[in-house]
Amino acid sequence: MPLLQDKVAIVTGAGRGIGRGVAKLMAAEGASVVVCDLGANVDGSGADISVAQQVANEITADGGKAVACTESVATMSGGEQIVQTAIDHFGKLDIVVTVAGILRDRMVFNMSEQEWDDVIAVHLKGTFTVVKHASILFRQQRSGRIITFSSTSGLYGNSGQANYGAAKDGIAGFTRVCARDLGRYGVTANAISPSASTRMTTSVPDEARALRSARGIAAGGGLRGEPEDVAPMVAWLASDEAAHVNGHVFHVTGGLVTLLNEPESVKTIRKDSRWSVDELAAVFPATIGIELYNPAPAPPPRA
Amino acid sequence: MPNNLEGKVAIVTGSGRGVGRGVAKLMAEEGAKVVVVDPGVNVDGSGFDQSIAEVVVGEIRDAGGTAVACTESVATMAGGERIVQAAIDNYGRLDIVVCCAGILRDRMVFNMTEQEWDDVIAVHLKGTFTVVKHACILFRQQRSGRVITFSSQSGLVGNSGQANYGAAKSGIAGLTKVVAKDMGRYGVTANSIAPRATTRMIGAIPESAAEIRARGGVASLSGDGGDDSELQNLDPDGIAPFVCYLATDYAGNINGQTFLVYGNTVSLMSQPRPERAIWTESGHWEMDDLSQQARRYLTAGVVNPAPAQQR
Repeated sequence: MPLLQDKVAIVTGAGRGIGRGVAKLMAAEGASVVVCDLGANVDGSGADISVAQQVANEITADGGKAVACTESVATMSGGEQIVQTAIDHFGKLDIVVTVAGILRDRMVFNMSEQEWDDVIAVHLKGTFTVVKHASILFRQQRSGRIITFSSTSGLYGNSGQANYGAAKDGIAGFTRVCARDLGRYGVTANAISPSASTRMTTSVPDEARALRSARGIAAGGGLRGEPEDVAPMVAWLASDEAAHVNGHVFHVTGGLVTLLNEPESVKTIRKDSRWSVDELAAVFPATIGIELYNPAPAPPPRA
Repeated sequence: MPNNLEGKVAIVTGSGRGVGRGVAKLMAEEGAKVVVVDPGVNVDGSGFDQSIAEVVVGEIRDAGGTAVACTESVATMAGGERIVQAAIDNYGRLDIVVCCAGILRDRMVFNMTEQEWDDVIAVHLKGTFTVVKHACILFRQQRSGRVITFSSQSGLVGNSGQANYGAAKSGIAGLTKVVAKDMGRYGVTANSIAPRATTRMIGAIPESAAEIRARGGVASLSGDGGDDSELQNLDPDGIAPFVCYLATDYAGNINGQTFLVYGNTVSLMSQPRPERAIWTESGHWEMDDLSQQARRYLTAGVVNPAPAQQR
């Protein structure tokens, strides 16, 4: 039996890239899929309703079930309508996968309010709007799968992505709370941190890279993996087989899937009374401070 | 009198009460001139009380320190800019920003309103960005500066009933790591504190959330499955010494880190790292192969923080 037989899934940002790969694989595995995509450009501008329809058509042509949805994830009513689309067309909802995202890279000291707000709205609030409305149903039916998209940009920090890094690490935190709010109802919530060559990372990019370098942002390392390679792990997490997996972050690139550690204390200093700053200045460098990695050390002073 | 921050100028947001107040007072004691930022709102973000920041300024001045009150909101870009401008107008420079300002609106995710989400994200996450962004313009020009933000175990580990707060606090950790990368080359450091302390904010968690927590057996407020009573006697002033240390010149190479601070304890939090991995030689998974390896190895025995319960 296919892995997702008779399931109903919403995949946001499914018009292109990773989301498209997830939508198509889920359909191939037997799920009925709501293909959500505004058809916006990578910077969030524009709208093209044919983008989602195209993927839905591809799925249908392959014998799968899909419906296109062009609501925006960035508003509560959009999130509600996306969930309603699943109910209206397929009568229920089992899985939400929130891939929708945009990029507005800029060094933090130059980042505009609009660049900040737009990226937070689509990624972070856009994850909440869909998950919140899905979780109302999931709680009632005592089952459901939430799979969100975080990023190494948030987990480790990428220069020039204060907005994106904040949103993506925020999504990881949000997902950990959802796991704890909903686990008791038989729902799981996990996050994927993908690396793949997509429109967001490389394909538009000649332009985007030129933009980044014009703004003084260093070029990122080469990314391995095709966007379709992220889909199998997402599909598996969405399946009944993964009922025990809740509150975790997985990094997926090409044929490599990694379970990331839970944040934990790695080195500790403690005393019986309140530290003074002088004491910390004496003790820290020889204890916690040993081999502490500085991700962007200052160059030697200019002559 | 200690003077580890002599000649420095610091902004401390949310310093009218709790952890921020302790930071502002100790920084002043260490010789810094402090902008005490607090609009004096209630824990849920409502109201406004100009006197809250003034009281802390009065305490600092009485102790022989230098401080000025600022009641601008961190939640708007204009507010962030005016807060930074307050440092320049009053003291002619800026060396340190500490972002403690925050509110709480706890609710289970399936009941959380848009307002509850937006307000918490606005004050914590955007409220960190608005101040840090404007400070970074100066820090880059002067090629020095300290950014110290406040994350939380609620975001790093996850607390039930705090989807908004957990998202904001984890987002702050991500923002801080990016700022560390953006600004490190300019001699600036950015680090994040995950504090545990008994403050007004802990007390504000609604009874219903506490009850749900207890009934569901999910993470307690101490964040690591510990007893909530552990939080009862954690003096908010205990966070300040380490924050002040990060702000000193001694800490110039500490960058991009998150520290758990409570009582008289300081812990370095781990960076994300691989715990287990599976891979396929071909680079492209077959579903059956992935399914087997995911079950047998990748997720075998992983902890579910909130296992399903029978009705």
